Amino acid sequence: MLDGERRAMLDAHLAVCGACRASLGDQIAVRAWLTNTPDACVPDGFRDRVRARIEKDEGVFGVADFRLWTLRLAPLAALLALAACLGLGAKPSGALTGATTVAAASTGFSPSRVVDWERTVSGDALLEAALFPSQAGAADVR
Amino acid sequence: MPRLDADRALVEAAAGGDRDAFDELIRRHESAILGLCRALSGGSADAEDLAQEVFVRAWKSLRTFRGDSAFRTWLHRVAINVARTHHASRGKIMRLFRPVSPRDEDPPDAVEPIDTRLARRDIVERALATLPDELREAITLRDLQGLEYREIAALLDVPIGTVESRIFRARQRLRPLLAPLLDRPVTS
Repeated sequence: MLDGERRAMLDAHLAVCGACRASLGDQIAVRAWLTNTPDACVPDGFRDRVRARIEKDEGVFGVADFRLWTLRLAPLAALLALAACLGLGAKPSGALTGATTVAAASTGFSPSRVVDWERTVSGDALLEAALFPSQAGAADVR
Repeated sequence: MPRLDADRALVEAAAGGDRDAFDELIRRHESAILGLCRALSGGSADAEDLAQEVFVRAWKSLRTFRGDSAFRTWLHRVAINVARTHHASRGKIMRLFRPVSPRDEDPPDAVEPIDTRLARRDIVERALATLPDELREAITLRDLQGLEYREIAALLDVPIGTVESRIFRARQRLRPLLAPLLDRPVTS
């Protein structure tokens, strides 16, 4: 929308310029006609056909739609994450394997460090236990 | 300050999977979307298919609608994307080899009776079909769909000045095509 000053300038120009007046008249006339164009007639059953397409799509591709599965499985994932945070199902600290116990004893690692350490060097711990059977806990390694 | 979107509650329900709510949204917008698809496709027989596709896509991506714009505006964006994809897939080569039909040759004023509503819409669609895509989109959104300039600019991702220019040029081009009609008073 034009402000008052610009509107006044436009009106002054239109008063003396027939070409611009005609052009503006054309713009207004075309707009009026288009604005009053009747609404498109919606064919009977249009909504039913849209619904049928949606149902067809979901029937065929719904199983493969990862977004649907993501949404549906979100509560289960949250539950599992919560259970993991609470430590449900984790081994109690006293239930370390014999090899780990030996390794922990030989390295001085705390049990919490051993949990990570166990995955990578438990082979070494087994070897150590086999080579030095007199050490405590070696009997567990068989 | 954004206006309250009259569709908001229905959109939220539909996004939660409520099919009846989505049916109501279709009912509210089907005429506008069908009209838009017809205008954007030049009155093609594919218009209903396009309109169906708009609502199917809207249903699928309703959860991504953040409410930054009115649902109606968002739906128009979906329609423009569907129409553009459709247009691109048909390919310009098809137009080169399309036989010239009497419909292409007839000037708008050759259609009788022009006083009927259907005929009037048909004439407008045929006139719009002669415009380049960018002009047709802009003037359809403005004069047929009643969107604001800033909404159109956002939908088409162009500055408002570009929208104004396109609409001006579109009306200039339509003027001679609608000349026989423009001498008559507008009746709704």
